[in-house]
Amino acid sequence: MPLESQITPIEDTTSGPFRDRLVEALREQIAHWERARRPQEAPVSSGSKALDQLLPAGGFHRGTLVEWLAVGDGSGVETLALLAAREACREGGALIVLDRAGEFYPPAAVRLGIEPQGLIVVRVANEADHAWALDQVLRCPAVAAVVAWPQRLEAKTFRRLQLAAEQGGSLGLLVRPERVRNEPSWADVRLWVQPVTPFSRHGSGAGGEGALPSKHDVVVGRPRVACLHAAQPRVGMSATCSPDASRRESMPPGRLLRVQLLRSREGASGGSVEVEIGDETRTVHLAPQLARPAAHRRAAGA
Amino acid sequence: MLYETYRGARRVIACSAQAEALGIAPGMPLAEAMAISTQPEAEVGSRKAESGKRKAESGRVECKVQSAKCKVQNENPVTSPNSSFIIHHSSFSPRPSPLTPFPSDPLADREALEELAAWCQQFSPIVGIEDSPLPESLLLDVTGLEHLFGGEGPLAQKIVDDFRTHRGLTVRVAIADTLGAAWAVARFCNSSLVVPPGQTLPALRGLPIEALRLPAQVVEMLHSLGVYRIGQLEPLPRAELAARFGASIALRWDQATGQAAEPIPASPLPAELQARESLEYPTARRDAVELVLQQLIGQVAQKLLGCGRGAMRLQCRLECSPNASRRENMPPTTRHPSPATNPSSPATRHPPPAVDLSVGLFEPTASAQHLFQLVRLQLERLSIPAPVVGISVEVSATAPLVCRQESLFADGPDRAPSGRAPSEGWSRSMVGWSRPRLLAGLVDRLASRLGRHCVLRPRLIPDAQPESAYQYEPLIANSPLSRRQRAGIRNNGQIPMTNDQGLKTDVPQSFGHWSLVIEPSPHSSFIIHHSSFPLRLFRSPLALSAMSVMPEGPPLRFSFRGQEHCTARAWGPERIETGWWRGRSIARDYYRIETTAGRRFWLFRRLNDGRWFLHGTFE
Repeated sequence: MPLESQITPIEDTTSGPFRDRLVEALREQIAHWERARRPQEAPVSSGSKALDQLLPAGGFHRGTLVEWLAVGDGSGVETLALLAAREACREGGALIVLDRAGEFYPPAAVRLGIEPQGLIVVRVANEADHAWALDQVLRCPAVAAVVAWPQRLEAKTFRRLQLAAEQGGSLGLLVRPERVRNEPSWADVRLWVQPVTPFSRHGSGAGGEGALPSKHDVVVGRPRVACLHAAQPRVGMSATCSPDASRRESMPPGRLLRVQLLRSREGASGGSVEVEIGDETRTVHLAPQLARPAAHRRAAGA
Repeated sequence: MLYETYRGARRVIACSAQAEALGIAPGMPLAEAMAISTQPEAEVGSRKAESGKRKAESGRVECKVQSAKCKVQNENPVTSPNSSFIIHHSSFSPRPSPLTPFPSDPLADREALEELAAWCQQFSPIVGIEDSPLPESLLLDVTGLEHLFGGEGPLAQKIVDDFRTHRGLTVRVAIADTLGAAWAVARFCNSSLVVPPGQTLPALRGLPIEALRLPAQVVEMLHSLGVYRIGQLEPLPRAELAARFGASIALRWDQATGQAAEPIPASPLPAELQARESLEYPTARRDAVELVLQQLIGQVAQKLLGCGRGAMRLQCRLECSPNASRRENMPPTTRHPSPATNPSSPATRHPPPAVDLSVGLFEPTASAQHLFQLVRLQLERLSIPAPVVGISVEVSATAPLVCRQESLFADGPDRAPSGRAPSEGWSRSMVGWSRPRLLAGLVDRLASRLGRHCVLRPRLIPDAQPESAYQYEPLIANSPLSRRQRAGIRNNGQIPMTNDQGLKTDVPQSFGHWSLVIEPSPHSSFIIHHSSFPLRLFRSPLALSAMSVMPEGPPLRFSFRGQEHCTARAWGPERIETGWWRGRSIARDYYRIETTAGRRFWLFRRLNDGRWFLHGTFE
């Protein structure tokens, strides 16, 4: 007896409309179960409207894990993660940063708008401590968000962390290297963040690392010493600021980041969006030029 | 010399013998006393040297303490075992230099007296502090104790000697039948004195009327009538006295002569917040050790609950068998799977006689379960070098317990308002009320396993040098408050928390009260507002190598962590220079750099030698 007839003995499953209906129904059921696992709460905004639109749920759910992948240093991924953490802490609750490398710089986080009175930095020395502390922290209902940098996560550990987040109701933001993108994930959402340069956008889309663009604008202001209050040496420091004329140059413009949704439990993945982080206000808004998802998927694969 | 401020006038209220020798007396205005003390010192030099020597040698807080002690030789030992001991303790005065006036601090005096009272437990089980607004005497019940010391005289001598050698205090001791008599003798006789049993009245007769502990106006009235000695009261009719001078005079008379009972107001002793268990045979089984620890912590927690305090620091000691140095001696069973991974744990080469565990807490707790969890977290990471023969648990710092209605809301967090199943979920609003407690528990657990210095809260400091723009503070305080901080607390009118050793403990405020301390800078114009900070700042800037540099500008290429980066855009410089008065001078030109791949780095050029460093990344 053919296998199909055991499952659906009445109709022919290979027929197009029925198959579509079945898949649709199954998809709905799965979505229903997944929704039922968490309370019907409004999702936490990611800190950026554009990113919210990209996310199927319109944000992140509390009690889930979010993975942020990026290559190398200086990519801007932590800024986005911390902005999401800031949103998660709006209703109170602590933000815990598991600082593995000891390089986390709290003034920058405060500048992002994170309430310093709710910020706890936990230093962890090794991977075992990191996993243990992450589990403990996610399990605590008083914690609103956790930012961590786990390097390697075994599937079992990952699953345990997901359950811990679900139990504690905190939002776990895991910043991870890009190389794990093909590993299985228990995170609700997996996002890939890449910096966008004018060259990479207009160029081939390969984001040519190391390739010097034909025309690059190194804008350098000449240092002009303005020794403030030089007559009062007890101040402790004299400051030199760039003069007003070159001030515009010395302030970097907002940076563009391309965020690609690699995986989402709630809906279709694969879309991408460009967000711009204003350096002055740290507001995140939609970049004027929306890239075509297909092109970006190509770029991501390149 | 101590002074108090009363209605704007500063008066001397106590002074050392050295000051008295100069002619300073209590009650004198401070200005006058200071004028006397600053006179040429030649005339008083010898005396000063003599009295100052002992104090200088010991280097301790100098106290002028008189002491008295009394013993009641009661007629009926069964009904009124009323023996007492008085230490008349007049003042404490720290003396960095001779004749420096200090403000009087009655609270500190009281605390010191309480601490002395606890110390006096070695002489008698019942120790009290005189019941008066400004107590100066300690009362000890020494009934039936004299044979332990070889008689009352040796006992008095031992007390005087012990106070001198161990505490650096001069005390006067009197032993008498009644508390009143002992108090009187200690106060108004010039030397330590043991009043023999039954000789109370003869001893009292010659003493001034003030020795009866009468109110000041009664004493004054008696003086005006020509009554100066206690003996003069004896022939006067008792009913008349009571009618004229109030009931207090009859009561004090009866108390002094033993006709009225007067109990010693013994201060409740601090509970012994420790427990110890000796094992019948040495064991290295962790489950056995944990079981005993759990019981001991339960006992201690009960005691804590009894006095309404919570533990801030718990210390456990596992006493190891000294002769079992070789591991073969240990039972091979149930060794923990991951022992001895902690490098800070005692090495096994030289087995120490004991392993110490210490648990600090974020919030005072008396929950045995919570304390045991924290201890177990540490125990897991500890290697026990030799079989354990004894376990002791001690709470070394406590703070008043914050009361909560735990019993009523014990299952509160599980009770969802929306009617979901209790175990299913959580809600932010439900969590709200119990959040500080939950967070405190989390902080305790983290700090217990990772170490106190790994759970930190940042504090921003307005400093232009990026490395020093913040500081980390451990969330769990360790050290008792410094003396300066204590003074600050006292000046704010709050009574500082004392633990059982008389130390102050830093009671952290609940999470809800945290605030970011941005210290008010007197030169606020110097807070440099960087347009943004890098989210990652290296602890020490990384020197960059292999780069090509444009004159007057940032490097065009540099390598970092094995990767080559090409500068596409750069912004800067921002110059930061520190002054010579801050130690090592720092002069840097900071640049923000965006590479061709869109990464942003924070570089600076050291102006001294022109070398380039990477200081942070804009993650």
